[in-house]
Amino acid sequence: MSLTPQPVPNTFTHEKPRDPYWYKRAVFYEVLIRGFADSNGDGTGDIRGLINKLDYLQWLGVDCLWLLPLYESPLKDGGYDISDFMKILPDFGDLGDFIKLVDEAHKRGMRVIADLVMNHTSDQHPWFQASRHDPTGPFGDFYVWSQDGEQYKDARIIFIDTETSNWTYDPVRGEYYWHRFFHHQPDLNYENPAVQEAMLEVLRFWLDLGIDGFRMDAIPYLFEQEGTNCENLPQTHAYLKSVRKEVDRLYPDRVLLAEANQWPADVVEYFGDTVSGGDECHMAFHFPLMPRIFMAVRRETRYPISEIMAQTPKIPENCQWGIFLRNHDELTLEMVTDEERDYMYTEYAKDPRMRANVGIRRRLAPLLENDRNQIELFTALLMSLPGSPVLYYGDEIGMGDNIWLGDRDGVRTPMQWTPDRNAGFSDCDPGRLYLPVIMDPIYGYQALNVEAQQKNPGSLLHFTKKMIEIRKRHPVFGLGEFTELNSSNPSVLAFVRELGDDRVLCVNNLSRFPQPVELDLRRFEDVTPVECTGGVPFPPIGELPYLLTLPGHGFYWFTLPPTSAAAEET
Amino acid sequence: MTHTLEELLAGWITHQRWFAGKGRAITELAVEVTTPLALRGPAESLHSDVAGSSRTTDASARTHAEEQILLRHLIITVRQDSHTDRYQLLLGFRPRLPQRLQHVAIGETPDGFAYDAVHDADVTGVLLSSIAKDADLGGLRFRHMPGTQIDTSPRSLVLGGEQSNTSLVFGDAYICKLFRKIIPGVNPELEVVSALAERGSPNIARPYGWIEADVDGQNTTLAFTQEFLPTASDGWALALTSVRDLYGSLPGTTAADAGGDFAAESHRLGVATAHLHKELAAAFPTNTVEAPEVKRMVEGFRRRLEAAIGEVPPLAEHAGVAHETFDRLADIRRPIIVQRVHGDYHLGQVMRTPSEWVVLDFEGEPGQPLHERRALDSPLRDVAGMLRSFDYAARHLLSDHPDAEALEQRAAQWAQRNRAAFIAGYSAGGGRIHGDDAVLLRALELSKAAYEVEYESRNRPTWLPIPLSAFRNAVS
Repeated sequence: MSLTPQPVPNTFTHEKPRDPYWYKRAVFYEVLIRGFADSNGDGTGDIRGLINKLDYLQWLGVDCLWLLPLYESPLKDGGYDISDFMKILPDFGDLGDFIKLVDEAHKRGMRVIADLVMNHTSDQHPWFQASRHDPTGPFGDFYVWSQDGEQYKDARIIFIDTETSNWTYDPVRGEYYWHRFFHHQPDLNYENPAVQEAMLEVLRFWLDLGIDGFRMDAIPYLFEQEGTNCENLPQTHAYLKSVRKEVDRLYPDRVLLAEANQWPADVVEYFGDTVSGGDECHMAFHFPLMPRIFMAVRRETRYPISEIMAQTPKIPENCQWGIFLRNHDELTLEMVTDEERDYMYTEYAKDPRMRANVGIRRRLAPLLENDRNQIELFTALLMSLPGSPVLYYGDEIGMGDNIWLGDRDGVRTPMQWTPDRNAGFSDCDPGRLYLPVIMDPIYGYQALNVEAQQKNPGSLLHFTKKMIEIRKRHPVFGLGEFTELNSSNPSVLAFVRELGDDRVLCVNNLSRFPQPVELDLRRFEDVTPVECTGGVPFPPIGELPYLLTLPGHGFYWFTLPPTSAAAEET
Repeated sequence: MTHTLEELLAGWITHQRWFAGKGRAITELAVEVTTPLALRGPAESLHSDVAGSSRTTDASARTHAEEQILLRHLIITVRQDSHTDRYQLLLGFRPRLPQRLQHVAIGETPDGFAYDAVHDADVTGVLLSSIAKDADLGGLRFRHMPGTQIDTSPRSLVLGGEQSNTSLVFGDAYICKLFRKIIPGVNPELEVVSALAERGSPNIARPYGWIEADVDGQNTTLAFTQEFLPTASDGWALALTSVRDLYGSLPGTTAADAGGDFAAESHRLGVATAHLHKELAAAFPTNTVEAPEVKRMVEGFRRRLEAAIGEVPPLAEHAGVAHETFDRLADIRRPIIVQRVHGDYHLGQVMRTPSEWVVLDFEGEPGQPLHERRALDSPLRDVAGMLRSFDYAARHLLSDHPDAEALEQRAAQWAQRNRAAFIAGYSAGGGRIHGDDAVLLRALELSKAAYEVEYESRNRPTWLPIPLSAFRNAVS
């Protein structure tokens, strides 16, 4: 694999071989089509609107878009309740629009992946309708049915706010059906080979249209087995391996990204076999890291992060973590201890409306009390910890949220493009918007929008863009080993990313107060560290501890060039 | 002109932090044992780094110079009037002293310039490599822990800020502590840590090896090498981070609400302490102290309190509370269980690693006779020590703080919250604090506070309010 900085992915021409491991260096950007840009004035964002904004995303430095579900759906769960896997939700456009989106993104060197829900469908899906009306027909066995709903008692209920059981009685069929999420989302029966094949056909359909991969929603729950918690079962892994085999066979350089909200030790199973470099999913989200970044900064000590990094196992060579600060879901607190959860609620969700399920529904900026230094520190951590960073739309400009909206809608409001009507998102009547734009005095679109921030070089948007640029200049951020350093100060998290001669030293002050730190850098004796954003050479490293002082919530990124000569860093 | 080595050492040793006899004139300094440590044998390089180092711009010049380096281990006796102490030294002798070693020069001798060689990473590797292969050099016996592998390549660095000993950190893997003042006998730290390691305790730093010699006919520990915990930081620094955060919080923020709340860590530390005590009780003999002996102990407490009042008379108005506690202790009928304990337990002796609290320095109070440092005691003595440490952490930033008065309440809240969390953790981890134990704990803590009053009054008067508040809080 080439280690020189180059665009990720390579241009989509057939002359050049593509980098099959592009996802290890890519910067991802999560887009809510509904909330990004409305091209036809109906108050709802659409694919054509997104196409119009691709230049912006390219300018920002995004390598890959991640689209939330865009399939036909009754929309009882934000599109995660799919009623036809092969159709685009009419609000968003049609298949022609989608093909154009992929095409236009590829022209700009960007890739596109989309959410795919493997575990369940909407109860409006024709498969479910056929299954309940005709138990002996071809779809009779497509879902998990039971006479009495007494099976699988060891499986936990995930949406404890709204559901009381994983079984719901269907009066039409006279039986209970199994659902790990909402009762209107029956689980598919993967024991049935016809279901396995039907889902492969769905994958092939989209891959043939040029999509670069899938973020596979809720994959730990595909199979059920009595006496287990019905998560991460061997059958589930076996099926995912067969999916991967099919993708590798027909569509090399596409990516499967697992959404498995589990402890890292369980998540690594989704990468598959280590010897072959990984034969299941190419990527998986690292869920526990994110709440611990928040906890570490609030507690001003590095231990919450150090701890989870130390517990994170090595992953197969061709695999990568997906890491994020915020996304369209609540800031999930399933992967923390009870004591830590209480702490997070007290610190970050003082108002009960800020909570949802087992988590906190807020955007990055309001979580950090709109403190610019903290937002920058968090962004620096996201860009430098091991994994490919996933940005959530709007966080690059520090957008706010609206805790008065229901469920998780508070973090799904329209993107703020300009100070004009509807924040430049749509030219419809404001009352027609799918959700109101943010209008409060701090985060309101009149002050906080892309246009204003693009004009201001000191804006958060320009900062984010700069950090992405620096990250992309150093493949080590995506590919390198992570080693935490001996730091004399518990508030300072210091680590080295290393890939051969490409070495970056990251020093982060998690405290709001200025802090000194002495680092043991004897391993790099005689090296002259060069600061990454400005290219300023720092004093050479000697045998004695290396002293740095950091402002409150400050951070440094240094390259450690192999010789004492300062590398050209601009 | 040149001096004898003894003369040079007598001038030099009084400036060393670890020298215990400061302020008294040296009557006599004598070299008791000298052991040459060969840097390279005839057939091999004892320390690969010396030969293989390419760190300098002029490697050949350095190699030439190195051939004339002498390294000697010395045991010396220092007599000050009737009092005699033994110390160990690691001395280097070079024809010329390079710039980087000027700061540890001792002086010119017939054998070349003498210097404190613990600071010379080009030669200290011999300690590690000798431990790795169980070398016997003169009377010095180097030993590694059975079952461990030692990588001898890392270079050493002297750890700053140490008082009684000198520790060399090799790379980020090992820390080798040279006990400067030599007390004949096996050092309790080696004894305790090895025993706990054998029992698989996660709350200690793994032992790798040691150096010993016979002194006064007794097997005596000279140095101890343990796993270095590179990403750990000590409990004191962590606790102060939390206290600082609370002081900086908006008015009205309670210790429980502050973002930097430390209670969860205090609780974990309590659990780790209880586990440690359980392991110590299993690894070493235990005993019980009967009522008459408890009464004698109480008398000791009272004497200490009276001494403190003599030093700081205002303490007298709070003495009643302390005496009441001591009375209650004197009345208890059940025997007190005693065992090996840490002995000098406070936040500075515990390190937080990414996974655990690790306890260091099982030496007991340095300078005390070994039988005292090894004596059995109630594990609650350690608990009391840590409780006092929480008080110090909460209040020590107040001593010259402009808002000290306004912050006093926050300090009290922080201390109370973390002390409670530590005790809850200690109980949750299986530590015993109920019934009579609570009286004993209280008495131990007040007795320690009385000692602190005396000490602070003499040495750090601005800190005096810290131990004094322990008595005030006892009233309320």
